[in-house]
Amino acid sequence: MTHPLSVWLGAFVTLVVFSYLAKDNPVYRLVQHAALGVSVGIGVVVAWKQVLYPLWWAPIQGAVTGDGAASGAWWLLALVPGALWYFQLSKRWFWVSTLVSGLFIGVAAGLTFKTQILLILPQVGASLKPLNPFAGPEGFTWAQCGVCLSNLVFLVGLLTTLLYFFFSVRAEGRLVRVPMRVGRMMLMVCLGAMFGNTVMTRMAYLLERLQFLYGTVQSLFARG
Amino acid sequence: MVDWLAKLESLDRRWLYGGTVLVLLVPFVVAIPMPPGGATPATQGLYDRVESCPGDKVVLVDSSWDMGSRAENQAQLECVVRHLCRRRVRFVVTSVGVTKFAPEFAARVIEPIAAKAGYVYGRDWANLGFVEARGGMGAVVDGLCRDLHSVRPTDVKGTPVGELPLLDDVRSIQDVHLVYCITYAPVPEWISFVKGQHGTPVAFGSMSIMSPQYYTYLDSGQLCGMLAGNRGAAEYEALDGHPSLGTRLIMAASFGNCVIIVAALLGNVGAWAVRRRRRAGK
Repeated sequence: MTHPLSVWLGAFVTLVVFSYLAKDNPVYRLVQHAALGVSVGIGVVVAWKQVLYPLWWAPIQGAVTGDGAASGAWWLLALVPGALWYFQLSKRWFWVSTLVSGLFIGVAAGLTFKTQILLILPQVGASLKPLNPFAGPEGFTWAQCGVCLSNLVFLVGLLTTLLYFFFSVRAEGRLVRVPMRVGRMMLMVCLGAMFGNTVMTRMAYLLERLQFLYGTVQSLFARG
Repeated sequence: MVDWLAKLESLDRRWLYGGTVLVLLVPFVVAIPMPPGGATPATQGLYDRVESCPGDKVVLVDSSWDMGSRAENQAQLECVVRHLCRRRVRFVVTSVGVTKFAPEFAARVIEPIAAKAGYVYGRDWANLGFVEARGGMGAVVDGLCRDLHSVRPTDVKGTPVGELPLLDDVRSIQDVHLVYCITYAPVPEWISFVKGQHGTPVAFGSMSIMSPQYYTYLDSGQLCGMLAGNRGAAEYEALDGHPSLGTRLIMAASFGNCVIIVAALLGNVGAWAVRRRRRAGK
């Protein structure tokens, strides 16, 4: 259960942060710096408790005391590549750190390549949609006709938007200019939808805090 | 009249902030019933997938959010966990890579719901805690798919996973019916490895602001469902017949949206009045 003092502190800090909307002030800046410091502090503790201790220190400790598998001692070797990162602090020995950073970049590049292949190839396949309303298993139906119409809008959107990004093609002549304009309109619709979602998220942030403040005030009256 | 309308264009923004806050507070003070809207195919897809979960499989819930995205992710986790408990589906919770605070936030949401449903920790559900994304998200997600026990040898409380009866039945992605990832912006590695490589369906719960980029994956069938912001959560709650946090928040947000629409209209009227006054002055 959350201590009432921490709830009230939370409410006070929320109001201080909101005070920035009226005017920048020193209390707001103090709270901002405190939040940053607290976040880093908690991060260090959680990193030790949830990651380093159970996954690294505990197996080594178990191997030394005999409570765990002897293979846990191998984790000591992780200190070697880990220590190599600190050579970045020296101009003379910087190259030593590139041994381990190169390894990480290589692994990351390989995984990214695999990720993108598995992600994009199905997208290309899914872009090929049927446009013939008679091609369905039940022949022509109005539902199938609607699907084909939707697929046509998709195809027009896909092709015109791709054309809009062909910078090597001059926008001269109606044959190119009109599709490019349609592509731009498609992008505008997309950006409009994205902006609408941005507003929704910002509103959700505000609502979450208002709900917290309202709950705090309610608890005050409930106690009274 | 035109002079008065022209003032709207240069209205102090603090009036707008104050007005928005006041309007948003109304649904908290007065309960205003609003009819639930229909569910989008994205929400329906996730609901149907949970409904079809067989008894011998589990759902892997990756809850990777903290205070920064609680505004929308909390309702998205709450509604799905409530549905899982109602259907007696067992589930495993992980928090991969994004934030170390996520397991605590997930526990605060899940524990009361699970306790109310009579779920026993370790038998019906387990929280495996934070999984560091060593060597990138792709490596961790791939590792989880192949051998869950080696990637996360203990749960959030430090208990070895071998001692949790639930984890006896869950070794790799083959034992999982659905992976549901909730965070600010779920990473595509879940789609690439879980769905692309192993064929297990994936669903996302993301903030509204990030949701447009995932619709292409829904369209291609790479995602089986998605909850977009509080709206997605409210739709899910309506499908499940249990209106809760998501419904409350989206109702209040609807009032806020009305304020924004009115403000945009008034701003345009103000701009029109200024232009008209300038023309008349000439």
